[in-house]
Amino acid sequence: MKTADIVRFKGVSLFALIATSAVSAIGFLWPFIISEKQGHPQWIFLLATPFALLVLLIGISNKSLDSKSVALLAVLSALIAALRPMGTGAVGIEPMWFVLILAARVFGASFGFLLGTIAMFLSAILTGGLGPWVAYQSFAAGWVGLGVSLIPKKVKGKMEIAALAFYGIIAAEFFGIAMDLQFWPWTLGADTQLSYRAGAPLGENFSHFISYHFLSSMAWDIPRAIFTASLIFLTAKPVLHTLRRAHTRAAFMTPIEFIERVRA
Amino acid sequence: MITFSNVSLIYPHSTKTVLEDLSFQIEEGEMVLIMGETGSGKSSLLRLINGLVPHHTGGILAGDIEVDGISTRSVKPGALAHLVGIVGQNPIQGFVTDIVEEELAFSMEALNVAPDVMRKRVEEVLDLLSLNSLRNRSIATLSGGEQQRVAIGAALVMQPKVLVLDEPTSALDPIAAEEVLSILHRLVHDLSVTVILAEHRLERVIQFVDRIIYIEGNGETSIGSADEILKNSDLVPPIITLARALNLSEIGTSVREVRRHTDAIRNRDYREFIEPKTSNSPAILIDWISHSYGDKKALNNVSATFHHGEIVAIMGRNGAGKSTLLHSIVGLHSPASGNVSVNGQDPTRLTGAVRRRSIGYVPQEPSDLLFASSVHDECDQADSDNQLAEGSTAALLHRLVPAISLHAHPNDLSEGQRLALVLSIVLAANPEVLVLDEPTRGLDYRAKAIFGAALKEYASHFNRPVLLATHDVELVAEISDRVLFLAEGDIVADGTTLDVLLSSPAFAPQVAKVMAPKPWLTVSDVVEALGENS
Repeated sequence: MKTADIVRFKGVSLFALIATSAVSAIGFLWPFIISEKQGHPQWIFLLATPFALLVLLIGISNKSLDSKSVALLAVLSALIAALRPMGTGAVGIEPMWFVLILAARVFGASFGFLLGTIAMFLSAILTGGLGPWVAYQSFAAGWVGLGVSLIPKKVKGKMEIAALAFYGIIAAEFFGIAMDLQFWPWTLGADTQLSYRAGAPLGENFSHFISYHFLSSMAWDIPRAIFTASLIFLTAKPVLHTLRRAHTRAAFMTPIEFIERVRA
Repeated sequence: MITFSNVSLIYPHSTKTVLEDLSFQIEEGEMVLIMGETGSGKSSLLRLINGLVPHHTGGILAGDIEVDGISTRSVKPGALAHLVGIVGQNPIQGFVTDIVEEELAFSMEALNVAPDVMRKRVEEVLDLLSLNSLRNRSIATLSGGEQQRVAIGAALVMQPKVLVLDEPTSALDPIAAEEVLSILHRLVHDLSVTVILAEHRLERVIQFVDRIIYIEGNGETSIGSADEILKNSDLVPPIITLARALNLSEIGTSVREVRRHTDAIRNRDYREFIEPKTSNSPAILIDWISHSYGDKKALNNVSATFHHGEIVAIMGRNGAGKSTLLHSIVGLHSPASGNVSVNGQDPTRLTGAVRRRSIGYVPQEPSDLLFASSVHDECDQADSDNQLAEGSTAALLHRLVPAISLHAHPNDLSEGQRLALVLSIVLAANPEVLVLDEPTRGLDYRAKAIFGAALKEYASHFNRPVLLATHDVELVAEISDRVLFLAEGDIVADGTTLDVLLSSPAFAPQVAKVMAPKPWLTVSDVVEALGENS
């Protein structure tokens, strides 16, 4: 017998994660996939993503969440949600990503995913910025947390910090692209050089998007990447130490043994 | 109600058994005290009762524990939540909401209790704990005793049969402690709730408890009535030390009992007590200072002078302005009006090394001063900050607490060890003035004696002033020369320890209560007086 494990996607919930992620990925990528001129398929995706997120969170909270995981998630989500508006949104200065990335490194990919989604959602409530885009932001932040598991467990010390900082750059850019992708078809109106044009060939839309992305938001993504990587460099050592200590103290998966007597 | 049969506990990654072969039974409606030295396993024992150990911590549990017929082996702690209510060491850390009423309802909301039932139970608990006048108050504005009562209330709404409390009175002033204990007493007697509490301040609780479980350091545990256990234990309140010193045939646990046995001693005539000489070389001058937080006046035109070589205790109820006064003296804030001078300097202007050498300050929460990840790192840091030879701070620490591990994380230390660490770091700078805020929370008698001796030595050896804010009247009686009594931001009494403590019934130490009207505060005072007489 062991104490409860930290929250992990496995079995049915892992399947749910993959399925909902796939739906949500289409929700991001639909401008490149749909070639219908008529109808408004995009509305379906705009709604599908929040629902996918909802289904996933309900699924996992039904049984896999132990009180210790809940406590950790709650404390770290609150911290991240509070940190996010501290950069006042100025050109991509969002001092939240480093906490998410470091916490995901210590507590694992599943935890990272949940932390990203919940923290994003919470910060939207705190800042009053609730809307359909929140689900996109949540999913993207969740993937950022999930992706930390790409760094192998055995990487340690300075290499680990360098790898995490590098991941910070990738994650910041990834988040930027994802947000643009979500926003792009709805903005600009039709028929500009950068607009989404329903029914246009994939190549045209893609090049429009890339131009849009570089013109509109590199000013956000580059500072965000630099800022996140620097924060990871500066704080990784003490923060990782503190989080790992919390991980040890929380005693996940520690054996429990019941015996009759210690001494014969 | 609770049965331990042959219980031993080993934590994960450890080979040491925390409790060994512990067997006892606690009946319904009993009030049981668990006593033992710091780190002896009192908190572990408490958390075994509701299954948090080992279900949340891991480890090896030998033997069996049954609570109301349910074995903690077979169920998770959640399944015992309605049966066992637990109140932690520091209630403020356990509060979830801001308002008293909401806090009381919180656990029921989590368990989906029907609204009308919730409303009824909240009313019951408000009445039972006399919290009605506080129901709409914000928890942050309550005094320590009131917060403790709210925490007990929050546990009681679930109508548990067992109530478990970890050091419920150690942060409280004597009056608030009395308040909390009398409520526990009432729960036991009126509602037959089984109460189990761990507490270091035995003098406050022994008269209320039915039985004591004494966890000795060597793995032995004894269980029995207060008289039986205290007759032979090392950890005893002053009242028992007194009985032993006077060779009384019977020991008593309350002031009343011991008074009856000591009639003859009190009625003899003694030589007049000689007033201790007071020094007259001012070190700290406080001139007419006031300070307020928003509308609340914390200090109201306070003036005082503290002299070299003097140990001054600052006493008063929670929220009387003790900490504010200390903050002004150490220069954490400048008072709204008035002046403070410490050895001729304005404390708010001191910085860096000069500051460390001028004023040593141990805050109420000593861990606020600890940042490194091990005891060793903390000591090294103190050595290099103060240009001391490597290992000086660690040596000082080992003198105070020999058993401390240098590799431990400061947060893993016991309360007493942590205090000793902070004290060593502060003393390493060899400060001109030492100021301590509530230093003896969580210390057992042995640690307190060592701590008291260290302070006395510092004051007399270097001829420097020591200021401490404390609720611990027994400590004050032992070490301090002078007492400053604050109430609502005013100094209501300022005089020798003897005069001030004897004039206030609530703040008088046990020995003084037993020996009134004789002017003795401590056991050694009594022994000395008797010695001179014979």
